[in-house]
Parts: sequence; structure tokens; C-alpha cells
Amino acid sequence: MNYVIIGGSAAGVTACETIRKHNKKSSITLISDEKFPLYSRCLLTYLIAGTIGEDKLCFKDKNFYKENDIKTYLGKKAVSVDRKERRVSLEGGTKISYDKLLIATGATPKSVDVPGVDKKGVLTVRKIDDARAIMNMLDNVKEIAVLGGGLIGLRDAYALRQRDKKVTVIVKSPQVLSQMVDMDAARVIASVLEKNGIKIMTGVAAKEIAGDKSVESILLDNGERLACQLVIIGKGVKPNTELASSAGLKVEDGIVVNEFLQTSDKNIFAAGDVAETYDIARESGRINALWPCAVEQGGIAALNMLGKKKTYDGSLSMNSVDFFGLASISMGITKPTLQLRSGSVVSEVEPPKEEKKYEIISRTGENLYKKFVLKDNKIVGMVLVGDIKTAGIVSALIKNKIDVSSIKDILLDDDFNYAKIMPLVKKFGDKFGQEEFNDTVITY
Amino acid sequence: MMNKKHIKRSYDPASQKMIKKAEAEDIKIVWDRYDAMQPQCGFGELGICCKICNMGPCRIDPFGEGPQEGVCGATKDTIAARNLARMIAAGTAAHSDHGRDVANTLIMAAKGESHDYALKSTDKLKKVAGVYGIDTSGKSVEKIGEELGEKCLAEFGQQRGNLRFISLAPKKRQQLWEKIGITPRSIDREVVELMHRTNMGVDNDYKNIIKQGMRTSLADGWGGSMIATELQDILLGAPEPVRATVNLGVLKEDQVNIVVHGHEPTLSDVVREAAKDLELLALAKKYGANGINLAGMCCTANEILMRHGIPSAGNFLQQELAILTGAVELMMVDVQCIMPALSNIANCFHTKLVTTSPKCKFPGVEHIEFKEEKALEIAKNIIRLGVENYKNRAKKKIDIPKEVKGLIAGFTTENAFRFLGGKYRSTYRPLNDAIISGRLRGAAGVVGCNNPNIRQDWAHVSMVKELIKNDVLVVQTGCSAIACAKEGLLTPESAFEFAGPGLREVCEAVGIPPVLHVGSCVDNSRILIILSEMVKEGGLGEDLSDLPVAGAAPEWMSEKAVAIGFYVVASGVFTVFGTPHPVLGSENLTKYITHELGDIVGGKFAFEADPIKAAHMMIRHIDLKRKALKLGPMMHQKKIH
Amino acid sequence: MKIKVKKPDVKIYCDITKCVGCHSCEIACAVEHSKSKNIFSAVKEKPFPKKRVKAEHINGKIISLHCQHCEDAPCVKACMSGALSKDEKTKGTLLDKDKCVGCWMCVMTCPFGAIVRDIENHVAVKCDLCPDRDDYACVVACPTGALFAGTKEEFEKKIKGRKK
Repeated sequence: MNYVIIGGSAAGVTACETIRKHNKKSSITLISDEKFPLYSRCLLTYLIAGTIGEDKLCFKDKNFYKENDIKTYLGKKAVSVDRKERRVSLEGGTKISYDKLLIATGATPKSVDVPGVDKKGVLTVRKIDDARAIMNMLDNVKEIAVLGGGLIGLRDAYALRQRDKKVTVIVKSPQVLSQMVDMDAARVIASVLEKNGIKIMTGVAAKEIAGDKSVESILLDNGERLACQLVIIGKGVKPNTELASSAGLKVEDGIVVNEFLQTSDKNIFAAGDVAETYDIARESGRINALWPCAVEQGGIAALNMLGKKKTYDGSLSMNSVDFFGLASISMGITKPTLQLRSGSVVSEVEPPKEEKKYEIISRTGENLYKKFVLKDNKIVGMVLVGDIKTAGIVSALIKNKIDVSSIKDILLDDDFNYAKIMPLVKKFGDKFGQEEFNDTVITY
Repeated sequence: MMNKKHIKRSYDPASQKMIKKAEAEDIKIVWDRYDAMQPQCGFGELGICCKICNMGPCRIDPFGEGPQEGVCGATKDTIAARNLARMIAAGTAAHSDHGRDVANTLIMAAKGESHDYALKSTDKLKKVAGVYGIDTSGKSVEKIGEELGEKCLAEFGQQRGNLRFISLAPKKRQQLWEKIGITPRSIDREVVELMHRTNMGVDNDYKNIIKQGMRTSLADGWGGSMIATELQDILLGAPEPVRATVNLGVLKEDQVNIVVHGHEPTLSDVVREAAKDLELLALAKKYGANGINLAGMCCTANEILMRHGIPSAGNFLQQELAILTGAVELMMVDVQCIMPALSNIANCFHTKLVTTSPKCKFPGVEHIEFKEEKALEIAKNIIRLGVENYKNRAKKKIDIPKEVKGLIAGFTTENAFRFLGGKYRSTYRPLNDAIISGRLRGAAGVVGCNNPNIRQDWAHVSMVKELIKNDVLVVQTGCSAIACAKEGLLTPESAFEFAGPGLREVCEAVGIPPVLHVGSCVDNSRILIILSEMVKEGGLGEDLSDLPVAGAAPEWMSEKAVAIGFYVVASGVFTVFGTPHPVLGSENLTKYITHELGDIVGGKFAFEADPIKAAHMMIRHIDLKRKALKLGPMMHQKKIH
Repeated sequence: MKIKVKKPDVKIYCDITKCVGCHSCEIACAVEHSKSKNIFSAVKEKPFPKKRVKAEHINGKIISLHCQHCEDAPCVKACMSGALSKDEKTKGTLLDKDKCVGCWMCVMTCPFGAIVRDIENHVAVKCDLCPDRDDYACVVACPTGALFAGTKEEFEKKIKGRKK
């Protein structure tokens, strides 16, 4: 068997690892358009911030490919897939045959449609080369504008602030993290960012990026002009679906897959940021471009490529951030009145009748916000700011759709902890899906 | 929001509102600290953790696998008994130290050294002087007062003889104590001896330890506490039934609110005077306040409530909640049950916290020491601080619950049953007759604290309602009395709604509530005398243990409650505690205090957290006593099974 | 110190019927992970040594809750820095704190709440099965024998023995 994997990040690498774990003999080939192997994209902002060096960027041992006997084409882009011949063509003409193919081509930062966006000093943070470029500029940069107040924009801003730069975040929506959390949580998070010297401007957009060759300032649609020597576009990502589309695979927001992560071609699988999978909380297809989802999907796709029928329960949107010691986690449906779909906010308010189906419990304190969204007595989403210790426990309740009516009124408590769900574990046992749950209640 | 935490935490709607407010403002209060403390250590709960010597700490494995004796060899019986005994010693020490201070104040007042006090009740003075064998003929009130004060004071360190007040107990009871060897000889001595015996390597027999525990507790009930009660009556006036109000709603939005919290009335009684000072009232006006509103908290509240009708802002678990209203300018505290958390809570608001006793200070909290010689002057100074603090109120933060209930307080040994007998026939006869005839089943004392381990007030209220429904007359003290007052049970009208037909008839006939407020927690001594008077009146047996009565502390938390429980049990009365004493780790000790003591002193303990079940245990006990006395059947009610 | 090789498939089980909530396991765990490994010095260390176990309760039942060292560990899948991994020999879930950047993805996904934040050092903290000792600090400290280190079979056997 020839297993070919396109994409060398979380999904692709996990797939290689999983295939090799179960099959010592078959040939595994990994194709990546990046030269630097096995690095974790999510760590790039930590690299920019100076928290870690390049030596800490890898999420696997540097001999991983060698030790697992994986043939690699690094720095080579896959340009087409011939499904009939079961062949992948790389730029430069190399052709690689496959029996089973995994497309884990990931995503690309979205750009903005603003004059001057092509100037020197306008960058995104996705690849290691982007991070290196920014770090090379830092000595000559005092002021930085970050376009986008979402997760990516804020992470970029936070990293650069740690380099003692004057950072302004320009946010189109009336709040930061509008896709991740509600207004109340956003307020708590924004206030910590501002207290630590990051300027946040909401409800404004960039109108023009000005400068001779390189960026010198940015003009906003409220008429204000900010001096800046670096503009970071942190607006989110779009899936790299071109390869799949051109091969004639079914693509909607991302590559459409079934519960085995199989595309419309039974020999081709997709995983990670490019795959549109079943979203557990929303009960519909969605791209959840997240590291944990990519790892899990890579592993499950690999098992299915090996012919071991393994169902993917679905993905769950979830994010964890920590800004200046204020930790926040969001998961699932956090703003039930907004239809969130695949990274693009459609500010379509659901009919009030629908809204009534959701029950919201929340609590606010100093640097603290907790909110749970319930539907039919099952938790479908949460936001935790400041105190995140129960996030994982709740994630299990969301994932496994556990009826929480009996613990609803203690969910917000400071001392909510695993013990509080033990009666549910005892009652619903196998619904929790992991044998370890039963281990905890043997004597309960 | 559908969080119902506030409802689970308290039965009292005013408290619920403030608990909600605390939650909304993210201010941590006693229930939050209680939750954070969970789970609490089982060794401590079971009483089998010993920290008495430095070979330890030692813990006995309650499940039998681990160590079954401490490093010294102490068994779980010895360890649990020593721990419990030390609780009795501490509780006795607290009540009695209070009594000692009152005796001192009485002497100072009698000698004219503290002008702000007078000997207000000469009737009581003469009566108590009689108990102490003081020849009063031809002596001035002051002279008698001084002699009595000195005699009481001497009893704390007395080396020979027994305490005087035990002579008020029925003869048979006195003889029993003498026979068992638990007649209290002195107050301090019993505490000291108990501490000695529970020291490493002294008394290793749990029964012998508990015996000295009982003796110590009797030195509280028939000693320190009784001295406090009786001398306070002499000094500050014997209470008379008085109408007053209770709950957080007594705080006033347009006035300077001063809350007095703690236990000793010597200061609070004078503060009441000071609050009427014209100069201070004018100052209050200057700051835009329409007056100075004095309110009590815990037992200090009970003291000035029953003597002067000063409103009570609430009981133990409301001390933080009062501050949370945002309307308290100043809270002055004396001793006991004052949560260390108060200083932090006060810091969240403009409230000024002032300590007044050299025995009770907080780091960083202003201390204005109370001295009897300059009582009024000091009281005025403290109130002035409160008045001046009025301007610092944050209007936005003010949120006073509307809940207020009326009550009648101020029943005493002397006056309570005067009512039953009619104005001109002050006698216990009608009470005894009502019991003998089956109109009343008997009487119960429901007392004690609040504890976040039980929904605030719920156990008190549920138990008392169940008792009066079954024609049991209830007497109350302390935080328990406040709990039921907040429910409106301490009014004559409540008899119509809640009392059984027999009790209702009695209440209706004489116009008393079915639940009688007899004072603060040192005033549990009043209950001992009431019981003794009932025996003396005749027809209900010859000893306290013959009476169809029972006691309860359904929400107890303090060591003082353990001391009270023991003196009530050692006086022959069956007593139910809500959550158990920390003794369950020792089966033997548990059996001893919940069963065997009954055969020794006539009284014993039971532990029952369900207030209705507990009330039924009390009623069953009362019925057994009725049967033993060969009393007729209940006029209106059947037996509780 | 030499890392002790532990038996595979071992994790810490709690016999809920015997846990009295004394928190001895918490204290022992913190002390074991202190610099001095001595309680009287450990309480003076700043930042305080961190415990990795917690006594939690529900309706009067108490559990001393540890990392379950899940076979298919959600925390390992979520870890983006490669700090968390499964030990091939012992099957333990281990955290390399040098690689941890404090993104709290593991906190977000641990269904037992067994991974906590060390805020001062900005790294995650979890049960490491006591690599410096032959036994397990919490188990040794447990005064009632509620805690047990072993395989599931061994624990179940022990429970059966107890019930007789």
C-alpha cells in the first residue's frame, strides 16, 4: 500500500504517526510546501513574543520522519490530483502514486481589501517564514497596527506587545473576539489587554495603508490616522481547498467529508483546517480550524485509510487564550442568537422562538466571567474567563451530550469540579465514551 | 440566571437577597468559604484527630485498616473524648469570662466607680443576694451589690465548697450530682482541671473525661452563665416583655446605622444611651441623616432587644449580610461569634468596623477600648465615628431588604409565667396545671447558632413549628430565637396559625406567643431556673429529669453550644443536636453520651439533622415523661410515633 | 535524581467509600513536588509547590481525584507544543514542562479537570506518577487506605477483598 499525505502540520503528521503505528511495512509519503519540518504553527506567536526560541517550535522529535520511515517532499507544493490514475503531481513535475490519499492542506490567512495592503511591512502570521520576517523587522518598528480583533489578531497583538511595541488593534465589530465570546466576556478580556498597554479600537476599519515603499501609517474609516511601521493582518483563515476543487471533490466551505473523514472519493480523505466536519454542538457541517481537532481527525482519517472503520464523533469549536495571565476558554455555541458558520459571521439573528430553546446561565465578577449555553438541558457552549479549571469537565458534557438538569444550578460555582458529575458518570456510564470515566466511579 | 444558591443557603428571604447581592458583586461570604472548604476532613468531623502533644498529630483510621491508636497509645475513645471535653472547657470559659466581666462591672457600679451604670433591679438584687446568703438587712443597695459582686467573683477562683446557684436546683438533682461527683466547685477550677485531665497522658478513660466535662459544663450553666444573666438583670434591669422588630429591614436608608455585634451588653446598653445624645443627633443631621439608628446582631442584639426593644438586624449568619446592605456606617463588636471575615467584608463597603474588647482585636481594624469608668464617653466616641462615616456611603451600593417582622421579647424566669397565672398570681401553677391536664404536652428549649452546613434558620423554624403544632410550649434564646422571630413565631398572633389547639388556648387566654424569647445564649441559665421552678411548683416529679421537657440546638456551630448541651443534659434534660458532636469516630463515646448518660444523669444527647425528625424525637421523649408521671392523655392530640 | 522506572498501566485509584477528605494526599503531593521534599521547608518555598491531586466531594462522598492517564488522552491530542505525551513503556501521560508554553489547551480538554495551571511559572501541572520515588507520595500518605496505585485489575481485586 502507498499512503500519501499532503500537509505536514497537526493532521498530516498525526496521520503518518498513526499509520506507522499500525502498519510497519507500507510506504508512507508526506508532501509539504514548507521546508521547516514538524513545527507547531500555534507556537509562532510565542516565538515572536520571545517566550520560546526556534528550538522549541517542534511538536515532534526532529528525527520523527526518519524513525518512522516516512518519505518526505518538503518545500514542494502539490498542484494536482489525478483521481483516475491515483497520482499526485508536485510543482516541478514529480508524480507520486497513492492507494490512499489524505488531504490536510490546512488554511491560509485571509487578507483585507484595503489599498496599500501590498506594501512592505504588511504581514500575516501563519508560517515560520512570516514569523521570521516580523522578527527581522522588529528593531526598526515602534508602532504596530493589527487588523482584526479575533483570536488571531489578539494573539498577534499580545505577542508584539511583549516585545514592548506600541500596539493598536483595529476591530471592525463592536467587540473583540466576536466569534468566540459574547460582549460581557469580551469586555473583561479587552480591559485586561488595555490595562497592559494594548490599544483596542472597536467599530472601525482600515481605509488605507499608506507609506512610501514601506508602511508608515494607516488611515481608518473614522478619519483617524495611526502612525505604524508594521501592519499585521490577523483576520482569520480560509481553507486551502483549491487542490480538492480542481480534482473534482465535493467542496462547500471546506472539503466535505463523511463520518469516516472520507471525501466524495473513497480513496481520498481530508482532515484538519481544510475539512468540513460534523460539528457536535451545532449539529451541522463546519470547519473547526483548531489544533486538537486536526490531531484527532488526522488520527481517525489514518485509521480509516488503514481500513479500520473508525467513526469520527465530530468536532467542537474550542479555543483557549491567555493574555497577561487572564485565561479564557470558549467552546461550542457561545452566542446562540448569531448563526456562526465556518469562520464568517453571518449576523443573522435567529427567530425568537428558536432563541427560547437556549438557556443561558452566567456569572460575572472581577476579571471573571462564566457562561453556559444549554439546549434541552444539555450544554452546547460555554465561555470561561479568569477561572477555567472546569473547562475540560464541561467539554466532556458537551461532547457526550449529557443531560445536566441535575447539576445546572451548581455549574457556575467556584467549587464545581469532577466529583460533581460523578452521579452522571455513574448513571450514564458508557455515554461518556471513555473507559477512564468508569474507573473513577468503581467505588462510587 | 437560574441560580438558586441563595435559596439553598438560607430560609430567610432577607438573607437570600443579600446572598444574591454578594454573588452578583463577587464578594465571598461565609457560605462561599464553606463551599471552598469542602470536603472537610473526616478525621476532624469524627473527632479522631489528636493534636494535643508533639508526638502527633495522630489520626485513627475509622475504617480499621490503619492505625487504631495514637503514638501515645490513646484510643479513638480517649482521643474523641479529650477533644469533646476541650470544647466544653472552651465554651464554659467563654460564657464564664463574660460573667466575670459583669461581676466586675457590678462591683464598680456599686462602688460608684463607673457612673454610667446603676443597680437597676433591686428586686433581683435582693433575690440573688438571698441565694448567696448575704444579710441584706439595713444595708444600702450599693453595699449589697458590692458584696454580691465580690461573692460571685470569688466563685471563679474558689478553692472550697460548691457554687451557690446549684442550690436553686431541685434537692434530688443536687444529691445526684453529689453522688456522681460532678457538683461544680468553682468556675475556673473546673475548666483548669478539664484542661489538665485532657493533657497528654492524664485521663485516659473516656467516661471519666466526660464526667469532668459535665462538671465543667455545670460550672457554666449553674455558674458563669447564671452569674452573667442574674447580675446583668441587676445592673441593666430585669427584662419585661417588649415589642420590637427584627431582620435586616430594621436598617434605615435615611439614618446613620450603627450595628452592635457580639455578646456582652455592658457596652451596648450604654451605646443605646449615647445614640440619643443631642449633639450626635445634630451632627447626624448635619451630614444629612435623619437620625441615628441602632440595631443589634447576635446576642448583644438579644440583650438590648429584651431590655430596651432595640431592633435586631439578625443572627449569626447575617453579620456579613448586614454590611452587604451598604447602609451600615459602623459595626462595633465586643466578643464571641465575630467572624474574622468581617474586616474584609467591611473593606468592600464604607462600613467602619470597631473592636472594643481587649480580648477581641483584628489586624488593621480600629480598636477603641471599652472601659466601664468612661462607658458613655467611649460609646459616644464610637457613635461619632459612625455618624461621620455617613458621608462616605455609596448610594449606589445601598440595598436594604425590606423584610422586618415584629416580635415580643423579654420573658424571664420571674415574669414568663406570671402571665400564665395572671397579673396578681405570679406562679408556675397554671403552667404545671396546663401540662398535667394535657392542654400542653410539655415544654422545649430550642436554642443555638446558625451554621452554613444547614440552610440558615430553616432547622430552627421547622423544628419550632412542629413542636408548637404538637402543643409543646417553646422557649428560645440566642440566634435560634432571632431565626424564629424573623418567621413571626414570636408573636401572640402566631399561635392562631401555628400552635396546636391546647397551646393555642393557653396563648389566647394570656396573650403570650407560643414561642417565648428568654434572652441571649448566656440566658440559657434562665431555662434551668424555669425548670427548677416547675419542679418546685409540684405535680411534675421531683427532679428536672422527671419533667416532660426537651432541648435542641438544630443549627449549632460554637463550642459554647457544646457546653450548653452538656449542662442541659447533666441537668437531666434530653437534648437533640442537629449535626453530631465530633464523636462518631468512637462508637463507645457516642454510645456513652447518646444512651448511657441517660441512666446516669437522666439526660442524654441525640443527633438528628432533620428538624422534623428531631422534633418528633423530642415529642416522643416528652410523651415518655408524661407516661412516667402518669399524666392523663393529651387533651387534643395524639401520640407521635 | 534518577527517574524511577515504574510498572506499566499503573494509575492512582481512589476507594470513595474510604476517603474521608483529610486532604493528606494533596499535602503529600505538594511536598513531593517541592524542592526540599520536606513539609516544613516546603511551606516556605515561593512559589509554593503545586499539588496535582484534589479531594473533591459530592453529596457526602469524597474522591481524591488524580490524572487518569487516559489511553487515548484528550490532553495529548490537544497539546500544540508537544509537551504532553504518552510514555510508551508505562502508558503514563507525561508533561515536559520545558516544552509547555501555558496555552491551557490541556486544561480545556481534560475531562477530569486533572490538569491545573501553575500560574507563577505559567505551565500546566499534572500527576507525574512521582518519578523521584519508587512508590507514590499520595498513596503512602493516605491514612485510610483509600488510595491505591496499581492496574485496574489489581484495584478491582482489592475492592472485592474489601467487600467480603
